[in-house]
Amino acid sequence: MLRLSTALLAATLFAAPAFAGERSAPTADCPQGVLTLSVLKPQNNPPTPVMISAWETANKCMKIELNEVPFGQLADKINVLAASGNPPDVVMYDGPNTQTYAAAGVLLPLDKYFPAGLKADMVQATLDEHTYEGKIYSPGTQQASLALFYNADMLAPLGITPPRELAKAWTWAEALDAMKKCQKGEGDNVTVWGLAPSRFGNATPGFVYRDLLFLRTFGDPKAAPDSSAYKTYWALSRDAKTAQGWINSPEAVEGAKFYSDLFNVHKVTPKAGIPNAFQDKKACFTIDVSYFVAGLANNDPGFKWGVTPLPYAKAPIVHTGSITLGVMAKGKNPDEAAKFVLDMSTGKIAEDYNRAARALPVMKSIAAKMTELQSYPLNIFLEEVQQWGHPRPPSPHFAQYDKIVTDALRDIAYGADPKTRLDSAARSLQPILAR
Amino acid sequence: MIAAKRRAILHWAAVTTFVGPFLLMLLMFQYVPVVRMVWDSLWDFALLNPDKRTFVGLGNYLDAFDDPDRRQAFAVTFGFAFGVVCLVIPISFFIAIYLNGRLPARAVVRTVVFLPVVTSSVVIATMWVFLLDPTNGLINGAIAMMGFKKLAFLTSKAQALPSIIGMMVWQQTGFATVLFLSGLQGIPRDLEDAARVDGCGWWQRLRHVVMPLLGRTTVFVVVIMTVFSLQAFAPALIMTGGGPEGTTDFIAFDIYQLAFALQQPGLASAISTLFMLVVMGVSLLQMRLMRSEWSY
Amino acid sequence: MKRASVLAGAALVLVVILVVFLGPYAWIVASSFKPQFEIFRDLNPISWATFIPANPTIANFVHLFVNRGVGRALINSAIVSSCQVGGTLLLCAMAAYGLTRIRFRGANFVFGVVLMTFLLPIESLMVPLYMHVANLGLQDTLPGVFIPWIASPFGLFMLRQAFEDLPRELDEAATIDGAGHFRIFWSVVLPNVRTTLATLALVTFLFSWNAFLWPLVVIASPRNQVIQLAIAQSVSIGQLPNWGETFAGATIATVPLIVLFLFLQRYFVRGIALTGVKG
Repeated sequence: MLRLSTALLAATLFAAPAFAGERSAPTADCPQGVLTLSVLKPQNNPPTPVMISAWETANKCMKIELNEVPFGQLADKINVLAASGNPPDVVMYDGPNTQTYAAAGVLLPLDKYFPAGLKADMVQATLDEHTYEGKIYSPGTQQASLALFYNADMLAPLGITPPRELAKAWTWAEALDAMKKCQKGEGDNVTVWGLAPSRFGNATPGFVYRDLLFLRTFGDPKAAPDSSAYKTYWALSRDAKTAQGWINSPEAVEGAKFYSDLFNVHKVTPKAGIPNAFQDKKACFTIDVSYFVAGLANNDPGFKWGVTPLPYAKAPIVHTGSITLGVMAKGKNPDEAAKFVLDMSTGKIAEDYNRAARALPVMKSIAAKMTELQSYPLNIFLEEVQQWGHPRPPSPHFAQYDKIVTDALRDIAYGADPKTRLDSAARSLQPILAR
Repeated sequence: MIAAKRRAILHWAAVTTFVGPFLLMLLMFQYVPVVRMVWDSLWDFALLNPDKRTFVGLGNYLDAFDDPDRRQAFAVTFGFAFGVVCLVIPISFFIAIYLNGRLPARAVVRTVVFLPVVTSSVVIATMWVFLLDPTNGLINGAIAMMGFKKLAFLTSKAQALPSIIGMMVWQQTGFATVLFLSGLQGIPRDLEDAARVDGCGWWQRLRHVVMPLLGRTTVFVVVIMTVFSLQAFAPALIMTGGGPEGTTDFIAFDIYQLAFALQQPGLASAISTLFMLVVMGVSLLQMRLMRSEWSY
Repeated sequence: MKRASVLAGAALVLVVILVVFLGPYAWIVASSFKPQFEIFRDLNPISWATFIPANPTIANFVHLFVNRGVGRALINSAIVSSCQVGGTLLLCAMAAYGLTRIRFRGANFVFGVVLMTFLLPIESLMVPLYMHVANLGLQDTLPGVFIPWIASPFGLFMLRQAFEDLPRELDEAATIDGAGHFRIFWSVVLPNVRTTLATLALVTFLFSWNAFLWPLVVIASPRNQVIQLAIAQSVSIGQLPNWGETFAGATIATVPLIVLFLFLQRYFVRGIALTGVKG
């Protein structure tokens, strides 16, 4: 046993150098050798294999090594990797973190790599999100917004036809009514849920991108700036220093109560995830992004479906921003990494991706070519971004905000008292924001 | 004289060669981090750029005491350990008695009970996420089949911690059983036989002969189970994320979250230091108890 | 009559234990050979189909190996665990020899220092240990996973006990024959504590293979991933899991240990009991 282990130990020590060195020996085609770029990305998200192979075909002397982690573990992984001496070259991260990562020196500013005119081509919301202290950190691959998908075959017999225009969008009261009517079975025997469980983030309730909207929509951007309605709408002070009174205002608590009631009183949506609930006809409605359209179009679920704008309570709102590519500041191949990021986000590769995935492009030049954005159902997502869209609360501490608020919303969904739980979230956030 | 010196040099050379490497590694990877932990606990900084730091003295400790979430993490962790110990001891004791008897299928039972001990905490937590799933889980499947109402398990504030205690008991019973079994096998048969001759029944023999002789083993099992339970981490990460409402926020997980997700390694170090002191205290106390048990 | 009721009681206990301890494993393993919708379908109601796949498929396993890099993770785990076993045996055996066979001043103090580490909760050391290992340039490397743990206080404790139990006449005879410390250590002492070494090797392997928190902290890139991380990744609350695939991963991670356990049960049980009786 000892001898065997010693032999193995020796074998590994000799084998170890095989891990090091990202550039292979020179070949006839590539006198400098083939460079392997490492890319960290969340599973089931772009860059897709199609994009990667298109890029590798165009750049013969470069290879991409994909490292995939579940979306819910991405932020932790980036935090750990950034502190390490061996970070990946490129990361696909959630857009609102740009400020956090830029402030900490995790991401490389890309200004010197940006071709002239590219910034002007970007949608303003994305440009703002990815700019920190005057420097740009990511071009952005896509924009996204949430809308309410419905199973038309289930709603038709009930005489329910959801609206298709933003101006006629349902309020949450109307949407809840439809969900209740459509639900089949009760207690342990629900066969069809009114609203499918969230598939986002942790696949438990609470994901800020989706579920913070339930609170924000109870606020009002047109109210006086010192009113609690105004604060509720923004969910974090505009200087990103105060959560107290913004995340736990009376209106936010009202929103949280409504959100909690969906799970605990009306019971139109389950607390635990059910994979593919909507596609498997186990739910009438689901809240999802525009690429879910592509998913349904490519894998016919066997029923008629439709899209209606996201319901609202007092002021309509959707979150803008999506995951995006950045270059790690401590990576060893910044030039090649920047080229990869820009190629993925602009030109033909980005256009093909946006079209295939039904994603909303960041580049206005690409959007202009995609006529499908002007017609149902994609127009709903686009108009939502343009008319109702706001980023998740911008802050150099977004990562922490995201985690603490997600945990609070999850607990509220599981039945915690909305006010107590939001108060404790505000309290936990305060020292972090104040730093 | 020179020969003596030479012998002394050789002697210490041998000592260094044999004991040195072990000691060096131990100092480097256990004691240095402890010192570093205490040092870091006096600073406020982020892991993303650890060089930018401010000295806060005992500020992190004050924050830790002040914060109900941190106090809850301590309460949850020790409550968990208490629950596990209270259940594991009787269950494993009776399985050990069963295995020590002359009943059939002992080998099978011993193997089966021990399986979770060799299974990793990750796999066990994973298995149990699905066993406990409120809609499609095996346990709720069984409950529904018997005509009862399905339980919420991990999504319920009241049931989450008990569910994880149940899982931990399932996981650790084999270990405790083996410890009890080796204790039982150390009891001379003639003692029991003598009691039988005196007309003692099964329960009386158990109560008055076996149990007193297993005192030391029992204290030992309590120590081991306490230490294991205090280390719980995987269940929080994989099954609950510490929720609902912090009811499964084990200290090890809390430390991990604070350091890596919330970027407060200073505070995490302060809590680590406190946790270390508490665990050392508990271990010492239990060892003391054990020593007094030895003396009869 | 009484004998019969005792037997009936024992049989009942037997059935309960088997169901409680084997049921979950049976479900996981059977489900790993099923597509997701069959797993859900076969649960309502529970029947033999819940535990026996009607149309077994290895698609889940194939996907894990092809797309999730589980093969790589298994190899990494094997490397890490073997190195940890090798390193622990060597370091602990040498130190145990030094402490029991070379009488030196301060030996008791050294042993005291070692015993103290028993009391350190490893979980609390993760953050400083991570920063320390990062400073040494070992983060996100396989050696970084096992090197911090090879100086195992438990291993030293166990071997020291075994060395003490060896009669001194053995090495005294060898000294008279002119053997040095290395000869005595390698040719006289080690061969006589083979069983203890094997036990320590197994227990170390078990802990190393199953370790989770430290690899989670120290390993970042998937190519250096160990099996427990790969499994945790496909489940954790990080995403909506694919049930079949997750079960397949759990099966893969567990089967090597269970096979090892079934063949070497005696050593395992002895080793585990030792952690208790002598710890």
